[in-house]
Amino acid sequence: MMKFKTFFAFVAPSVFMMVLFIALPLVSVFIQSFQITQPVMQQMEVETCTPGFITQTCVTEIKTIPTIGEDGKVITTTEWVGFESYRNVLQMDKVWEAVASGNVKDILQIDFWKALRFTLMFTLLTLPLVIGVGLLIALTVNNAAKAVRGPVIFISLLPFIITPVIGSLSIYWLFVGDGILTAMMERWTGTNISMFAQAWTIELLMYFYRVWHVAPFAFIIFYAGLQTVNMDTLESAVIDGASRWERLRHVIIPHLMPLIVFIALIHLMDCYRVFEEIIGFRSQAHVISLQWLTFDFLTPDDAGNRAIARASASAMLTMIGIVFLLILPLRRTWRDHKGSAH
Amino acid sequence: MSTSRAMRQSLALRFSSSAFLIFWVVIASFPILWITVMSFKSPVDAFADNPLDVIMGPNTLSRGDGLSVIDIVLGLAVIFFTLRWMFTRLPGWIDSYSPAGLKVLGWVVGAAVYAIAFLVVFFGILPLILGPLNSILGPLGEPFLGLTTQHYVAVWGENEFYRNFGNSMLVTAGVVTISLTVGTLAGYGLARSGSDLAFWLLILALIFRALPHSVLVAGYLPWFINSAEILRPIFGDVSPTLYGQPWAVIAVLVAINQPFTIWMLRSFFQNIPAELDEAARVDGCSHFQAFRRVIMPVMWPGVITTGLFSFLLGYNDFLVTSLLLDAQNQTMVPAIAGYFNRETTTTDQVEAVAAAVSITAPLFLLVMVFQRQIVSGLTAGAVKG
Amino acid sequence: MMLKKLALAGVISLMGTSAFAACSYQNETEVKMLSAGFEAWKAVTDAMAECGNFQAELDQEFRTKQPAAFEASPSLYHLGGVSNGTITPLLNAGTIRPLDDLVAKYGQNLTPNQLIRIDGKVMAVAMMVNTQHLMYRSDILADLGIETPTSWSEIYLAAAKIKEAGVMDYPLGATMKSGWNLAQEFVNMYPGHGGTFFNDDNTTAVNSDAGLKALGTLKAGLPFMDPEVLVSDSTYVQQQFQQGKIAMANLWASRAGAMNDEAESQVVGKVAMAAAPTAMVGGAPATTLWWDGIVVAANITDAEADAAFRLAMEGIDTDMVTANNDAAIWLVNGFVPGPLSQGAIATATANPAPPAYPSTTQMGLLHTALGNEIPAYLTGERDAAATLVAIEEAYTTAAKEAGVLQ
Repeated sequence: MMKFKTFFAFVAPSVFMMVLFIALPLVSVFIQSFQITQPVMQQMEVETCTPGFITQTCVTEIKTIPTIGEDGKVITTTEWVGFESYRNVLQMDKVWEAVASGNVKDILQIDFWKALRFTLMFTLLTLPLVIGVGLLIALTVNNAAKAVRGPVIFISLLPFIITPVIGSLSIYWLFVGDGILTAMMERWTGTNISMFAQAWTIELLMYFYRVWHVAPFAFIIFYAGLQTVNMDTLESAVIDGASRWERLRHVIIPHLMPLIVFIALIHLMDCYRVFEEIIGFRSQAHVISLQWLTFDFLTPDDAGNRAIARASASAMLTMIGIVFLLILPLRRTWRDHKGSAH
Repeated sequence: MSTSRAMRQSLALRFSSSAFLIFWVVIASFPILWITVMSFKSPVDAFADNPLDVIMGPNTLSRGDGLSVIDIVLGLAVIFFTLRWMFTRLPGWIDSYSPAGLKVLGWVVGAAVYAIAFLVVFFGILPLILGPLNSILGPLGEPFLGLTTQHYVAVWGENEFYRNFGNSMLVTAGVVTISLTVGTLAGYGLARSGSDLAFWLLILALIFRALPHSVLVAGYLPWFINSAEILRPIFGDVSPTLYGQPWAVIAVLVAINQPFTIWMLRSFFQNIPAELDEAARVDGCSHFQAFRRVIMPVMWPGVITTGLFSFLLGYNDFLVTSLLLDAQNQTMVPAIAGYFNRETTTTDQVEAVAAAVSITAPLFLLVMVFQRQIVSGLTAGAVKG
Repeated sequence: MMLKKLALAGVISLMGTSAFAACSYQNETEVKMLSAGFEAWKAVTDAMAECGNFQAELDQEFRTKQPAAFEASPSLYHLGGVSNGTITPLLNAGTIRPLDDLVAKYGQNLTPNQLIRIDGKVMAVAMMVNTQHLMYRSDILADLGIETPTSWSEIYLAAAKIKEAGVMDYPLGATMKSGWNLAQEFVNMYPGHGGTFFNDDNTTAVNSDAGLKALGTLKAGLPFMDPEVLVSDSTYVQQQFQQGKIAMANLWASRAGAMNDEAESQVVGKVAMAAAPTAMVGGAPATTLWWDGIVVAANITDAEADAAFRLAMEGIDTDMVTANNDAAIWLVNGFVPGPLSQGAIATATANPAPPAYPSTTQMGLLHTALGNEIPAYLTGERDAAATLVAIEEAYTTAAKEAGVLQ
């Protein structure tokens, strides 16, 4: 067992970096979610002259502009507003209204709930797919002849290593408009298909992209796991007359269980902050995710406004969600920890 | 092993299993192959809706850029042998030429030399041979497949993409080295300390890993831009503006990458028997000495695997690099996104595709070189939950 | 052959970096600039680079970075490229300097039209105007005997005819990518129906009759548009035109040049330009006028500002315009309006003229609210009235947070 001092010396550099670049920003986000900082505005009559073609047009109007202080910076006030930003994001009044009037579907018109619905569905639907497909590839590669394994592993890893922005664009181009795969499907079915015209087809493509992108990661880890399956156990299972399926269920899967938990954990975290797909597939009109919502609040408009308070609130809500999702796999890790430590 | 009864398979199983594998290989490689094809065509062909037009490139051909049968046969032959030797002969050469103990370095140098040799042969020697050959052979020498390298020339020449390449290499190298150095220490500490504090640190790291990056990154921007002003009371006039500094971005990426790194390495170190370093400690070594003498020699498989994941993160990052670097220090991924801005042209888009294929190439090499290490590193236990 | 091309490219790139021949003087002070990255900016910054010691950052994320970068002390950039939308945060924070003395010193070549005056002080120098205008396939319209449409109802009639004739399934293109682009379509349509965006107390006035009409006109076009129109931005519409897939679109003037780009376009010489269509009888063309121009940072020394402004004047001089005449509707002396710019000029000089895009804090907030709420209306999840209420609510929440509403 290590002394605390030694332990601290080992982990200090890592902890320092995480505190500086993750924990501190997180604390400030937490604080900002209960505050609103705004410039002190004043009304002023301003004459603005802008170019037309050939001659200028000048307009005089009353504009609301921020006050600039002695030091040349905009004067701002910061107010504690309690849960107001959370209320603005959650819009619970509308939720209850929708429930009361029986139009539960109306809840999905509120950005946060719309994003939550997609994010959760995306996370939970792709999870079994990624594990299933990854396992299937690992088993088939493991069954394949030694000579083809190298090249197959290499090709299988491509979707995982490719830069996500480029990977999602490469799939977007195959399907957008009369992209070649859409054109091919149109020829087969004889109907006009538009993959990016309605929510469900876009979602389908997003699921496909995510599984395509992440299944290789699951595959390579399962494949590594398969190399350490105890051959004697397998042999004795064969002698006991266990079918291939029974061997898979009772020997191989239990052996891979820690890896399945590991992949599930990583996948839950990565999926829950789904973002690249929204940008890559330009799905904002139909489908949005929680991280995209935060990103959208933070993106300044032309006039430089950012909804920092609502962004912070939505980020904190996202955090709470991920803690809930992680509780199950983490309980297992806790038991392992207790088991190994004492 | 092949005689093992457990591995014996029925014909039906073997058939369906290889059918699935072929299906998967096609799906895995098709989008990437397709953008590669697009990058060699004129804009009209690249975005044509008939797949045959994209492949054959009639518009590209009509502008005088094309390949003849001879070009293709010889070109494919060169590519085939390059790939084949990469798997069969390259490892042997590297083994025999690299000094003992520096095998990793040998691989890196060997792969680079090999890649350069290929480029020289393919783009330097081959065209010289093919020019006269095409004019002799009549119809066989007649170009029929439209193909142009103009977009690559534009990207690497006019747009000076090699600068972005250099920046990417700098950032990635920094991220990999620092995160492995910091991460191995922490991973070892966590693996050998059974305290609850260690456990909660890990859980906290996990939650940090789950954070949406856009939240963090937007928080950095004002601090990075104003850092000279903020740090002036402490460091005086030498205080730097962090915005646009590659090493500041490296620090951010290392921090973001730490949770994953320490989880991977902790599991790996847990699988190295604690008796090993305890024995060293009995001999009078401190924890650090034990780490250096006993653990360091056996940790490389796990470190290489973890390092590859760090490499991918640093190399592929878009959010952090696009927001915190300026044009002079921009890495490749945000530079590519720059081709897709509000006012762009189809030519820009095909150039972006060419750039995208270019940045995928080093990843190709990397996986080819380290493929075995990934599997063996993972097998050695870097991922035991 | 390939080798020769590579060598040639190398030579060209060398020439680009080392020759200062085209500049009338040698710039000695280091100058940095941050702007958007479209064609016109490339032309201007290339011309400036010829004088040496100049670094331009042409960045699509410039909106995110510019306000913060100019607020730093010293400012990270000396020059900024802005439009009437993006100048607002710089003006509000006071991070750009008045240019009157510099204009007097170096601005002999400028026309009064180029000087953006706020309360009498020159705060920016405009170099080009931009607006949406009608682009149409003159060959298709001529074949079917359709007159050039001047209003949206005529456009829809023409689109119906083209569709009926079986020439195209979706004759109309539109920049309706949800978010900024779609909001801009509404911002064009709404004043075209006579609407005003704000009341005197800064509350929004879009929840009105004109708002309903504007939404109605937008939706009426959907049957003639590609079903994927909610992902289509200007580049996509431009490509659809170039590939001969659409016959008409109300598109940015800065995109006109691409129609005759032989390397990309299959419709060279077939696309004509006309004034942006009107939304109601006797109304102004349903569009907004934009300008792009250069500002100088406040947080730099006067000597740096002097050098930066001189360099900027070199970038937007007549030589640059002559060399890049079709890249934009330039305001600079020496611009020769070609056939491609006729539509934009007709739009800008129409009577009544379309309004300039308002550069106010409120407009930025409203633009975001529009971009987020209108998609639900176009996909049919919500009716027009409910959409306008949602826009109003979204704006009100944001405006309270930004401090423009109490």
